[in-house]
Amino acid sequence: MTLLALSQTQESTIFVALATMLGIAGVFWLLPRPKGRFVPGGIALLIAAAAVFGTWLYQTFGQPMPDVIGSTLFWLFAAGALVFGTVLVTQRNPARGALAFAFVILSTCGLFLLLAATFLMAATIIIYAGAIVVTFLFVLMLSPSNAPSDENDRSREPLAGALAGFAFVGLVLLALFQTSMATQRDHLLAQLVTADERQKLAAAIAQLEAAEKALSGDTSTAIARDERLAAFEMAFAPVRDELAEVVGVSSAEQIQSPQEGSLPQRLGRWGDAVGEPEKLFRADISARQTLTQAATVRELLHQVPQKVEAIVSMPPPGHPPDVAAAQAEVRKLRDAVVILHGAGLLPARNVANLGYVLYSEHLLAIELAGVLLLVATIGAVAISHRKPERSSTNSPTPAPAQAEGVQ
Amino acid sequence: MSEPTSLALAILALPLAAAVLAWLSAALPATKKLAHIPLILACAAAAVLAFLLLEKMLDGHEAHYISTPLTWFAAGHLQVHFTITVDALATIMLGMITFIATFIALFSSGYMHGDRGYARFFAVMSFFVFSMCGLVLANNFLLLVAFWEGVGLCSYLLIGYYFAKPSAAAAARKAFLVTRLGDTGFLLGIFLLWKMGGWHTDLDSLFSHIRDNPPESGLLTTACLLLFCGAVGKSAQFPLYVWLPDAMEGPTPVSALIHAATMVTAGVYLLARCAPLFVLSPEAQVIVAWIGGTTALLAAFLALGQTDLKRILAYSTVSQLGYMFMALGTGGAISPAFAVSAAMFHLFTHAFFKALLFLSAGSVMHAMGNVIDITRFSGLRKVMPITHITFLCGAAALAGVPLLSGFWSKDLILESLTEASESASPYSASYFVLLLVACLTAWLTAFYTFRAYFLTFWGPEKLPEEAGDHAHESPRSMTLPLMVLAVGAVVVGGVLQPFTHWFSDFLGTSPSLTEAQAPAARLVEHHLNGVLLAISTVLALTGIALAFVLYRHGEEKPLGGIDTLFALSRNQLYIDELYSALVVKPAEGLAFLLRVFDGFLDGLTRLIAAIPRFLASLIRPLQNGLVQFYALAMALGLAVFVAFVIFRVAR
Amino acid sequence: MTITLWHFLAVATVLFGLGWVGFLTRRNLITMFLCAEMMLQGVAINFVAFAFYHGNLQGQVFVLFLLAVAACEAGISLALFVSLYRRQRSLDSSDWQELRELGLPPAVDEEPLPAVSEESFPTLPPAGVRPQPTVGTEEVARV
Repeated sequence: MTLLALSQTQESTIFVALATMLGIAGVFWLLPRPKGRFVPGGIALLIAAAAVFGTWLYQTFGQPMPDVIGSTLFWLFAAGALVFGTVLVTQRNPARGALAFAFVILSTCGLFLLLAATFLMAATIIIYAGAIVVTFLFVLMLSPSNAPSDENDRSREPLAGALAGFAFVGLVLLALFQTSMATQRDHLLAQLVTADERQKLAAAIAQLEAAEKALSGDTSTAIARDERLAAFEMAFAPVRDELAEVVGVSSAEQIQSPQEGSLPQRLGRWGDAVGEPEKLFRADISARQTLTQAATVRELLHQVPQKVEAIVSMPPPGHPPDVAAAQAEVRKLRDAVVILHGAGLLPARNVANLGYVLYSEHLLAIELAGVLLLVATIGAVAISHRKPERSSTNSPTPAPAQAEGVQ
Repeated sequence: MSEPTSLALAILALPLAAAVLAWLSAALPATKKLAHIPLILACAAAAVLAFLLLEKMLDGHEAHYISTPLTWFAAGHLQVHFTITVDALATIMLGMITFIATFIALFSSGYMHGDRGYARFFAVMSFFVFSMCGLVLANNFLLLVAFWEGVGLCSYLLIGYYFAKPSAAAAARKAFLVTRLGDTGFLLGIFLLWKMGGWHTDLDSLFSHIRDNPPESGLLTTACLLLFCGAVGKSAQFPLYVWLPDAMEGPTPVSALIHAATMVTAGVYLLARCAPLFVLSPEAQVIVAWIGGTTALLAAFLALGQTDLKRILAYSTVSQLGYMFMALGTGGAISPAFAVSAAMFHLFTHAFFKALLFLSAGSVMHAMGNVIDITRFSGLRKVMPITHITFLCGAAALAGVPLLSGFWSKDLILESLTEASESASPYSASYFVLLLVACLTAWLTAFYTFRAYFLTFWGPEKLPEEAGDHAHESPRSMTLPLMVLAVGAVVVGGVLQPFTHWFSDFLGTSPSLTEAQAPAARLVEHHLNGVLLAISTVLALTGIALAFVLYRHGEEKPLGGIDTLFALSRNQLYIDELYSALVVKPAEGLAFLLRVFDGFLDGLTRLIAAIPRFLASLIRPLQNGLVQFYALAMALGLAVFVAFVIFRVAR
Repeated sequence: MTITLWHFLAVATVLFGLGWVGFLTRRNLITMFLCAEMMLQGVAINFVAFAFYHGNLQGQVFVLFLLAVAACEAGISLALFVSLYRRQRSLDSSDWQELRELGLPPAVDEEPLPAVSEESFPTLPPAGVRPQPTVGTEEVARV
């Protein structure tokens, strides 16, 4: 969609600016105050803002998930989080606000689930559910009845506040857009295996299986052997092309200058020395492992056809060629490609692995967080502790110090 | 401890340690009373070491020792070392300082007894002895300046010892500022010498460099006179002598030690030390001599009419210092070794009898309840017999009574002047005039010294009310130093010089004197000049006789026509008033103008300050105490900042 | 399975911004607190999205710490609310403005609150003897 032949950047700017304006106006109208609150208009403006925002998101970045169900769930959860967030911000009654916050939490937990963070989803729900219950208690205890009050029916600087918040949001969205554009050129946010590459690797796996099958058959005569080899070659050729695009070239001679856009080139700046790149854009272990795996695949891609040809065409005199051995060679390549295909994905068994990471790499931080919680509990008790001599003169309403009960 | 330089360093370290101990002793009331002990012990030990050093130097193989240079600081090719030098000059000074300081410390332990600032007094005294020894030993101009300022500081602190008394505070300030005036010249002279002396800072290398590469004579004279400026300030010479009489506001032992015996001689010592420079510039020498002569005569005249005993002694100090400079000034015409040893010998004997006189005056003052006006008491012969005898010894030595030490040293100075007037120097006429001046001064000295003596100790017994029941002889701790010093004042001159020439021979071994040979200098043999001896005897005796005739009844009588002269002298020739009219009043006028200008600037500053104040009143409502409002401001600011970053990147 | 990072980041940003607007404008301390928690949720989504995108668990670990900090914050802030409420009998954050510049008048809300349309319930006439204050003088004096 091109409006008025604008560049993509200008278009995005206009979209984001429009959504921001609408959002500012809508929230401004919705924020509670004695005069000038216009709820239907505010809701309409916010819906319009959401529509513009969604359109921009979809048009710029496409589908959030590869599958329809995932995308639907994403839109659902995102909309839920934003809608209930708006309700929390603009709702006069703090009790209803707390309820809306509960829905915000549920929606974000849905997003967590989409992002394969199952443990976090559960933990967030449990912790915030407790927090929200306690907050409800507080609201019921401390807020006066439905009568209008300063804290609920007034806002501090509604226009400037909405302006500041949404201007910030709009600017960050623009920054996101710029970053996403820059990522395609530069190596910002380098991903280990992109979706494109993953597709190619999946195709290569399938074709390698086909090539392996092509080897089995009659190999008694030289002609039959040539036929098998030809069939193998035919099945293997596309594999070579596809893999070469992913891992770099297949020939050993050109190994020092990997092909433009291939995985090693994308992840690292190539050095002078043979082998490891001089500098990785991502210096973590998984990136190194992936690069090593890519190098392995490259080696195998170079060796496997030669070995297969050697085994099949030149059998030891008096014996039929060892087809099983040739197939094992091909399977070796396939396994390497499968491992490469799985690189850069979250490990399975989220809870177990999260626990492992926490208690191996972040042990000190975990201990500190525990101390922090303890100190906060003691602090909360100390703050809300009522001195005995004051309690006799103070109000009769008891204010139990349940703050630390959030946990 | 066998090395002479190690001994010298030990002499230097002892008073410093005493200063620290005395300072620490102020912490406890119990130890505060014992603050005098470190000073006495340190001075006594230093005196013993100094005599050991003297002995070592006497039979030593080398004329001088220089300690291993220790780099103090270095910048470019300016290298400043921490070195000390030990030669005959320094050894004699060290021995004299520590010996006299020992007895003055003993005296002050009795004199200052029960004073509130007891520990402070002894801490500063110890520090003074340390600084003075350092000044004598320093082989480097910067080090010399450091110790020079150290003694100045101690002098300031001790003159202003009774800082609650306005006159003492004013006197301390005056002494510091007036000497500062001379120090400015001193520093300029040092810089000039550096430049001429190939950026050497060590005295020996500097002098030899200048001797080998003689600079332009005008430049050298300038440098010498600038150095002399410092000496004029420190040694209270005309025209900067005005601080010394006022410095008598300090406790009497201070006057004895600092303002009679040691510190004021620093200028003489400096010129003696720099003799190799001064011989190259006869013009500077003549100016030195003339300044000395003027000061000697002027101060002697001013001492005539004073009624304050300590002031008389102060003026006589100034006068005697002028004498020494006169002797130093002859160095251009005769052998500098002779001139310097004459000056140093007088310095040496003078230290004894002047310290003695001051301490005796202190004893009198102690007994009279801090009254020092000689017209208010008389006839103390019976009341204080020991003090009387010791004062008489000192006065006779000062007056130049034959065979006492002052007689011999004064005679040596007169001799050097005579020789200079007979030399081939182009300035011999000047030296002859100066000889007459010296004779007149000698006569005046004898007269005013014995005037003070007769007024104090002769005549009917008369005591001021303040004396109360104090009017008796001072305690043993005070009379013992008096007696020792009296013996010194009587015999030290006769023993050391006139017949054996021991003093001048030993001093002559100093390399700075052996190397300093003026081109046109006349070599002088040490011999006793009978005519001169007779003249000076007659002068001293007639002066004393006149004083006896006039004042033997212990009171001042009107003298007819000469009274105006005495009034003039008593009012110090109105020189303070002259300085006030010439210097202080214009400065005050200038200060007033500057104050008006300052007020104008102040108004301008306020005007400038009013602008931000006005702007602030516009934005002050932002500071409304609402934390949410602050957060909003922060958010807006952050939004602006992010916008800047993003659109900059996009561009 | 791959995702687009940007969708999640954009949603997290908007969530964060909404929380910010609420924090800046709402005056009820509890609502402000909930808005702050909502901002934290926006940040948490960011972390989790990056964790998924990079294929490691560091981001999720961060969110765990974030939960811990949020819990501490909840404890402390609710305790503060209680003690503030005891002083002022109100949850209005604008009651606390003593830190303003010296001599500046306090910020006062000008527009009046809308009047409550009181539903008039029937009331019973008092019956029997009117209860007298039993404790008496001390209590009265304190009021």
